Amino acid sequence: MLSQQLVYWAYGVGGFGALCVYFGLPKEGRPERRGLFVLLLAVTLGGLVLLFDRLLGESANRFVFSILALLGVGGAVRVVTHPRPVYSALYFILVVLSTAALIIYVGAEFLGVALVIVYAGAILVTYVFVIMLSQQSTEATESRFASVLDYDRSAREPVWAVLAGFILMATVAAIIVKRDWSDWDEVSAAAMTEKNTLELGKMLMTEFAISVELAGVLLMVAMIGAIAVAKKRIPHASDAVESPPRGEVGKTVDPF
Amino acid sequence: MDFIKDTLADQFWFSIILSLAIFGGIMTAVAYCILLERKVSAWIQDRYGPNRVGPKGLLQPLADGVKLLFKEDIVPGHIEKTLFILAPFISFVVALIGFAVIPWGGAFRWPWMAEDAAPLYCQVATIDIGLLYILAVASLGVYGVVLGGWASNNKYAFYGGIRAAAQMLSYEIPLAMMVLVGILTTRSLRLEEMVTAQLGVDSAAPMAALFGLNGFAWTLFYHPLAAVILFITALAEANRAPFDLAECEQELIGGFHTEYSGMKWALFFLGEYAHMITSSAFMIAIFFGGYCVPGWTWLNTSDSVLAMLLRGGVFSFKILLFIMAYMVVRWTLPRFRFDQLMQLAWKSLVPIGGALVLLQVWILYKDLPQWVSIVGNVTILAVVALIGVVVQKPITGRQRSLIKKERIVRMREALVQRG
Repeated sequence: MLSQQLVYWAYGVGGFGALCVYFGLPKEGRPERRGLFVLLLAVTLGGLVLLFDRLLGESANRFVFSILALLGVGGAVRVVTHPRPVYSALYFILVVLSTAALIIYVGAEFLGVALVIVYAGAILVTYVFVIMLSQQSTEATESRFASVLDYDRSAREPVWAVLAGFILMATVAAIIVKRDWSDWDEVSAAAMTEKNTLELGKMLMTEFAISVELAGVLLMVAMIGAIAVAKKRIPHASDAVESPPRGEVGKTVDPF
Repeated sequence: MDFIKDTLADQFWFSIILSLAIFGGIMTAVAYCILLERKVSAWIQDRYGPNRVGPKGLLQPLADGVKLLFKEDIVPGHIEKTLFILAPFISFVVALIGFAVIPWGGAFRWPWMAEDAAPLYCQVATIDIGLLYILAVASLGVYGVVLGGWASNNKYAFYGGIRAAAQMLSYEIPLAMMVLVGILTTRSLRLEEMVTAQLGVDSAAPMAALFGLNGFAWTLFYHPLAAVILFITALAEANRAPFDLAECEQELIGGFHTEYSGMKWALFFLGEYAHMITSSAFMIAIFFGGYCVPGWTWLNTSDSVLAMLLRGGVFSFKILLFIMAYMVVRWTLPRFRFDQLMQLAWKSLVPIGGALVLLQVWILYKDLPQWVSIVGNVTILAVVALIGVVVQKPITGRQRSLIKKERIVRMREALVQRG
């Protein structure tokens, strides 16, 4: 029972990952356990490499796959454990890029590039914007938490969060591992040869046309809402009958 | 010998060699672009420009490079050091990797290859989603700017970074719309297929060639307005004049690179020039016929090595013309104020772009002949001009609600107050 054995492997690796995340989460006043964290991270990633090796067998793709997958997993751990939100967002970009590379690698080019455009190019830019607007960069001094704001110094519920994450990951991993992947090379080769962007477009415009339209309408409504919220009429000197009191910056703009 | 021949005939190894060659070529081109910029500015301002290093000043880029390398690399205190160092590299790398999908010379075969062998592409990567790849890479360029500004721990640099990032995000929308018009007109996402669609020879091609000349079915003739808007957005995306707010030293204390010096500062600028070359290359591939020379059938379609090299030369020459256009624009037009820049993007380019996309979609949906788009372009331009005449609002924001008479009255009042 190779697949059953692999499921235990997946649980084991997931367990190490959970411990690694737990010890990596920031907590003020606790002695720093960076060494333990790095050790556990190394164990987790090493276990993942062995797991991939068993899973993919002699497939020629396993090296590239392993490198990209490790980048993604390692980045994801740092997204959760880094005490500074700007760096978390940057690690998130790393996760998105490596995931997109994995998706492109199995032949779904359009999906991968769309992921980069939508997530890395648009959504995460707004994340970074917001984080940067709310936190000025500060000097990194000797202490790990010197440059971190109060509310970022401790994780709120590290145990429950890690446990929930572990259960989710273990379930997904067990299902993935139990599947028979021996036809993986053929599947990916078949996907590579087709003009899958064209096929995807045709499918979206015929079978899923209503979903596409609905998504479009939803985004349109959201955009109009955002503009309506953001729009503030600045009264002009010539608009008002009596001019507003002097000295209120931003309320009136006198041209001369 | 056979080993070398086989290696060169393999697309993978040929792509690797080509990418190295392109990297070298681009770095040289960027260095000489800076010399060209200084020369063009000098000619426009009736000066000589750099003429001391080497014959006619041709070795000036070398001197500049040596100077930048040996300059003291000042890293200000109290900064976010990792990101401060990372930011210029992001800008530079993002500007460079866009070259992977540019179709420099089309398909060709080596003389030692069989007649019926699959042709090689003089292009680093022929992928199904070439244009989307360029858009994705371009959208990552924002990070270099915004991180550079933030990591400097300087409020002016931070505002500069936010400003530049807002500008790049805003202009990405009309850029993507114009690219969409190009995709819908040439009916492909592959850049090499977009170029061959502009040959316009066979009757199945979406666009008919002008005067029946081979290689003269440029998208430009069918969507001139889209080409102009694409050029404007490309200027803004590269942070070039008249959108170069990052270089307002007097009014805005520079921009995201205020705190940078030496080679890190140079990397931002190498990135800017590399971005100019990439954006002109993909504009040429979508709208200006790629490597096609009107009427020269052999050059446009032959699979010989000589034709491929000549096509690469034609492509480079077209890029050079675009770079000259960029430079003349920079040294001719004054800079936009930030609110004007935003209004130009959101209130003019985005609506016009939407109209153009709708026009092209309508043509495809109704299966109309492609020349309808010319009529549509002229109509859209006329409507926009009409709206401008009727509304009579200047694009400058502040005097918006003042009519001309009011403005004169206020000016008079102000003069009286000052005595």
